[in-house]
Amino acid sequence: MRHYEVVFLVHPDQSEQVPGMVERYKTMIEGNDGVIHRTEDWGRRQLAYPIKDIHKAHYILFNIEADQKTLDEVESAFRFNDAVLRHMIMSKREPETGISKLYAEELREQEKDRERDRQREDEQARAVARETESNVDGDDAGNDTEATEPAASTEDTPAQDVQNEAENVEAEEVLEEED
Amino acid sequence: MARRFGRKRYCRFTAEGIKEIDYKDLDLLKDYITETGKIVPSRITGTSARYQRQLARAVKRARYLALLPYTDQHDN
Repeated sequence: MRHYEVVFLVHPDQSEQVPGMVERYKTMIEGNDGVIHRTEDWGRRQLAYPIKDIHKAHYILFNIEADQKTLDEVESAFRFNDAVLRHMIMSKREPETGISKLYAEELREQEKDRERDRQREDEQARAVARETESNVDGDDAGNDTEATEPAASTEDTPAQDVQNEAENVEAEEVLEEED
Repeated sequence: MARRFGRKRYCRFTAEGIKEIDYKDLDLLKDYITETGKIVPSRITGTSARYQRQLARAVKRARYLALLPYTDQHDN
C-alpha cells in the first residue's frame, strides 16, 4: 500500500454529479482495503488556459492509500468517464491530512459569498421595511376616511410581493454574473 | 516575479526551511514564474539546486492541472 495524491477536473456542466462521483470512487478505493486520508472539493475554478474550449472546471482532490490494482482501477475509471477532463495521480511519501492552500482559499471564498448574501438579504429587508413605511404614510395622507383604508392595504400587498420577487430575480442574476 | 537586481541573492526555501514545495501553493509559485509563464532561472532567484528542481516539478504539475499557464499566449 502506497500513498497517493489524486486530483481530477470535472466538466463544469457535470458539476452536480460530483458528490455522486466522489462517493463512487470512495467506495471503489475503500472496497479494496484502501484508506482515504483527505478529500477536498475546490469547487469550480477558472482554468489558466482553456481545455477542450472550456474555461472553468470543478476540481477534486483525494489523498489515498491504496495498492497498485486499485489505483489502476481508479485511473481507468477516470479515463472512461467523459465528465473527467483531466486527472493526475502523484505518489507521496506520507498521508496528508490538513487543509491545502487552495482549499483554504476556496473556503474563504465561500465564507465571503455567504457574508455577501447575508448583507444583501439585510439590505433587502431594510428596503422592504422602508417601502412599507412610506406606503402606509401615503395611505394615511390620501384617505382620511376609514372605510377606504382596508381596501387600499389589500391592494398594496400583492403589488409589493411582485416587487420583492423582481428584486430577488435581480439579485440572482447578479450572482450568476459574478460566478 | 522575483527581483532581478538585488544585493544579496539567497534561497528562500533554504532560509525558511520548507520541506517540500507544493504545487498547490500558487502564491508561492507565482513568485518564481515570469509574466510570460516561464520558470525563473535559479541564477536570478538564487534558489538552491535542490529546491529549483522541486520548484520546476511543482510548476509543471500546476501547469498540467491548469492552475498556472504554460504561456501568456493561450487564446483565452
